[in-house]
Amino acid sequence: MLIAIARRLALSLVTLFMLAVFVFVATEIMPGDALDVSLSADEIAMIPPERLAQMKRDLGLDRPAHERLGAFLGGVVQLDFGRTLMSKTPVTTIVGYPYRNSLILAAAVLLVAIPFALAIGIAAAVWRGRPIDNIVSTVAVIGYSIPEFVIGTVLVMLFAVTWPIFPATITASTRDPALTLLAASPLAVATVVIGSVAYLARLVRTGMIEALASDFVERLRLTGIPEWRIVFRHALPAAIIPSLTAMALYAAALVSGIVVVELVFAYPGLGQELVRAVTRREVHVVQAIALGSAAIVVALNLLADLAILALDPRTRRA
Amino acid sequence: MSKLTRRSALLGATALMTAFDSALLGSAFAQPVLPKRGGTLVYAQCSGNRRGGDASNTKHPYFMIDLITRSAYNTLTWVDEGLNVVNELAANLAPTDDKLNVWDVTIREGVKFHDGRDVTAKDWASSFELHRRRNFASQQIKSTEVTGAHSLRFFLDAGNSEFPYVLAEYDNVVMPANDDFEKIGMTGIGTGPFRIVEADPQRRMVFERFDGYWRKDQPFLDRLEVINREGQMESAINGFRSRQFDAVLNIDPRLVRQLTAEAETEVVPASSGDQAVIILPKHPGSPFLDVRIRRALAYAIDREAIQRIVYGGARFGWLGNDSHMAGTDPMFVGRPIRRDVAKARALLAEAGHPNGITLPTLYYAPQWPEMGRYFQVIQETVKEAGITLPIEERPNDGYLNFRQGDADVTKGNWHKFAYTAVGPRNPGISLFRMRGANNESGYWSGPGHDRYLALYREAMVTADAAKRKAIYAEMQKICYDEVPAILPAGRNNVLIRRPNVRGLNNHPQHWSITWDGVWKA
Repeated sequence: MLIAIARRLALSLVTLFMLAVFVFVATEIMPGDALDVSLSADEIAMIPPERLAQMKRDLGLDRPAHERLGAFLGGVVQLDFGRTLMSKTPVTTIVGYPYRNSLILAAAVLLVAIPFALAIGIAAAVWRGRPIDNIVSTVAVIGYSIPEFVIGTVLVMLFAVTWPIFPATITASTRDPALTLLAASPLAVATVVIGSVAYLARLVRTGMIEALASDFVERLRLTGIPEWRIVFRHALPAAIIPSLTAMALYAAALVSGIVVVELVFAYPGLGQELVRAVTRREVHVVQAIALGSAAIVVALNLLADLAILALDPRTRRA
Repeated sequence: MSKLTRRSALLGATALMTAFDSALLGSAFAQPVLPKRGGTLVYAQCSGNRRGGDASNTKHPYFMIDLITRSAYNTLTWVDEGLNVVNELAANLAPTDDKLNVWDVTIREGVKFHDGRDVTAKDWASSFELHRRRNFASQQIKSTEVTGAHSLRFFLDAGNSEFPYVLAEYDNVVMPANDDFEKIGMTGIGTGPFRIVEADPQRRMVFERFDGYWRKDQPFLDRLEVINREGQMESAINGFRSRQFDAVLNIDPRLVRQLTAEAETEVVPASSGDQAVIILPKHPGSPFLDVRIRRALAYAIDREAIQRIVYGGARFGWLGNDSHMAGTDPMFVGRPIRRDVAKARALLAEAGHPNGITLPTLYYAPQWPEMGRYFQVIQETVKEAGITLPIEERPNDGYLNFRQGDADVTKGNWHKFAYTAVGPRNPGISLFRMRGANNESGYWSGPGHDRYLALYREAMVTADAAKRKAIYAEMQKICYDEVPAILPAGRNNVLIRRPNVRGLNNHPQHWSITWDGVWKA
């Protein structure tokens, strides 16, 4: 067991190192630099070229790439992503609250989506082939296929413009308390929940169908255990174990991957910060967000692996 | 046809008399609607703000320009909606002699900072120590000298007849004196009608009324909330529709028709706004070295079609004159030459292209949302003159570097046949942009250019506005004769507001909208 954990930890560290190098290279090949986008055409027209060159030197934009890679990796080890190029603000200050806000949104979505997905997925599996299963399967495919920005826009049109019940766009501040932020974001949460329920319900349904058709469930049925008990006490845990990795990856994707939803509703999360940083060529911020998101994926994947190791004795032998 | 009866005749006469009375009494006794005090106004700002600040500097006047400059701060002068310069915190402003390189300013007395302290000449001198180092238009200020508690002298490196316009630039605000350039302005304490109470970098600013404001009885609003929706126009407009916002600034002109039809929506265009510069590079091998080809292109472009198709007419777009002058400027001279396809063809034939010409690719970036359709119209209309014009959209990111190439053309990385956007400013700043040393002129040179620069220098030391106007007219004539660059048409900035929002005027310089006189009915 310990060896298996150590192996997975080591693998995660190697993955993180490779990701750090990849993130650095990817941000290096972006065209332009922070100075290009921070100056207006008015300013460029009036500032002499030698002054522009000096500004570039002052920002360290003329240092060779390998020097910057060394400094970047050294900083990553200490969780120090440096400072923004233009205002010299610590990058951790810039990305701290957006990380928190994306985690709040993801947590709220999962809190609502998981119970719904479990209920719907279980019902569809238990009544497999019946009308309820057909409806759930069809709606899930549609819900999962429709892009989130379409769902978001429709919800805005219905519940913010036609019937102004909820706000169309989020005006809360980045540093507002979690509850204030969530109170301002019902449509954003609903948009992600719809897609999430559709995805997770399909996952649960598939796992449950497999579990309910397995030999051990058949044996339990023969012993006369009530069907509801078989479903919830025996089949459900068995169904969830294989889905854990997929669920963990989905949760990670929620934190870093709901850029579109954040943009539709102007939610002050990582997605908005990433777009802003790319637009402004704030390379250090882009690196921190990209690497942080990758680290969340690796960490959740590791947690899922460890959970599977703990729950399923067969995997410990691998 | 209905029959005229005695009853209907009497009724008609009564109605006429009533209408006449009410019109007469109405005009004689109409009371001006007094601004109502109090309330909160929430507006969204959609313009791209390339200097958006962060946690360390959001309150500084150099950042979040469109969101805070005219709410929390004041300058010595202000450019009004007609692009005329007027005093703001300057009580008097005049050059010391006809060289126009030394200017004396008397500062308005009784002006207070948000912390209650009186503003003195020392604060202005300290603020301009930063501005002359950092602001692009203020670099001509060599030094300042405090000549009294409320008077200041500016020493320039050369004469500038339009120096008052420089003082109106959005950076050039007064901040509490501080010798440390890294600290001055960071507190967000200004003299403006509102004081900053909450600053969420690049996202949201909240202001409250400053009771000690120098304009008596203003501002009218108690609170102003500004939501930054740069690049998120749909989100801003949805917010307006769902009644979260009272106004949205800088919307795409393409949305005007749709929004005009919506209830409780007033569309307010400014008298002008940014315009497009088509840079014609004049490096070795470029077809634009030949003035006949430059002229042919200028003749072939259908400017009215751009105004009509891209902007939906003269209310939201204006015609350029191939200089950087804004169409709304009192010194702007309309281009006398209209579109002439036959003349364009003749010029091409004269230049050795009797069967037409294929130009290099024209690059543009979507700095304003309408740019794609802007260049499609140009591409289509020049076809009639036998000009094939390939166009290519490039991303905004890194576009500046891409289009400028190296200033040193011997490196082979030529500056491109490309577009850039320019904002409306005073003639001095605008016309100086066509100098040969600037990329926007395509590094123009020759006798026409030399004459242009000589005229510019003359204008800068000509105090008489009427004489200056004549000089500027000649400079503009050189532009449409020599066509160093083509500036076919520009946009009028557009904002939308609720009908109960009063006193909110649009401005050609979207950073110069003021909030002092805005109120909610």
